[in-house]
Amino acid sequence: MTERESLRIITEMISSSKSNLRENTVFYLLWGWLVLAASLLHFILIQAGYRHAYLPWPVLMIAGTVVSVFIAIRMGRKATVRTYTDTMMIYLWWGFFMTVVILMSFAFSGRLSWGTAHPLIVSLYGLGTFVSGGVLKFRPLILGGMACWVIALSAFFIPADFMLLMIALSVIVAYLIPGYMLQSKN
Amino acid sequence: MLPALDPVLHSPLRLAIISLLFTVESAEFNYLLEKTGATRGNLSIQIGNLQEAGYIFVKKSFRNKYPLTTCRISPKGADAFRKYIETLKTYFPPGT
Repeated sequence: MTERESLRIITEMISSSKSNLRENTVFYLLWGWLVLAASLLHFILIQAGYRHAYLPWPVLMIAGTVVSVFIAIRMGRKATVRTYTDTMMIYLWWGFFMTVVILMSFAFSGRLSWGTAHPLIVSLYGLGTFVSGGVLKFRPLILGGMACWVIALSAFFIPADFMLLMIALSVIVAYLIPGYMLQSKN
Repeated sequence: MLPALDPVLHSPLRLAIISLLFTVESAEFNYLLEKTGATRGNLSIQIGNLQEAGYIFVKKSFRNKYPLTTCRISPKGADAFRKYIETLKTYFPPGT
């Protein structure tokens, strides 16, 4: 084997082992649509004067968690390789999930107002999306994450109920648009 | 005279395996088979050689009753690969 052949093998193998961006798409689309549906339904039910207008959240979020865990287990079984990016994503999004659960438990107990909890949750998934975009080198996710922070700050200027519409907007820019762009990219 | 390249890595299949394992956390036998295009027998032998040299860790387990071989690079293997690249660079003077 010549030195030039060595160089070719190394280059070929390293470039062939790059992470498949498309693998993550399913989670962005799933959570994008679920959060969009929950926030819009919550807003509509408030306007309709329904007493338990918040109900779409626990129902859709629990369903989303069950489906996500199921998909992740199935993907894990099928995967023949584990990249450092995969591991980093797992820790990042589990960390995000646990932090959101803690935040929500404070909000449900009444020790934190939803007016504060909502923008904090939006900025947290902004963080997750921003970091994911940076790691995957995918600009729409980076911009989507940054948009979440701007949307979270907008909570200072708008009534609490309308924050639900801003949540809907945040998942469109941070999850759905980048999700469909990722899907069409590969 | 140019320095000699590590003989453990200076073979097409072993170099391909170590290049792949250097970039991922762990890889199964079938992944290495697909990426390298080698035959099962040859891949098994070269994985064994790399394991013997202490360049990779090999874990044997079962998934759905089928044997599963998972490989990951060892610190010694990663150092050897970095050294191999550094040595290889000396074969290509700047501007070539």
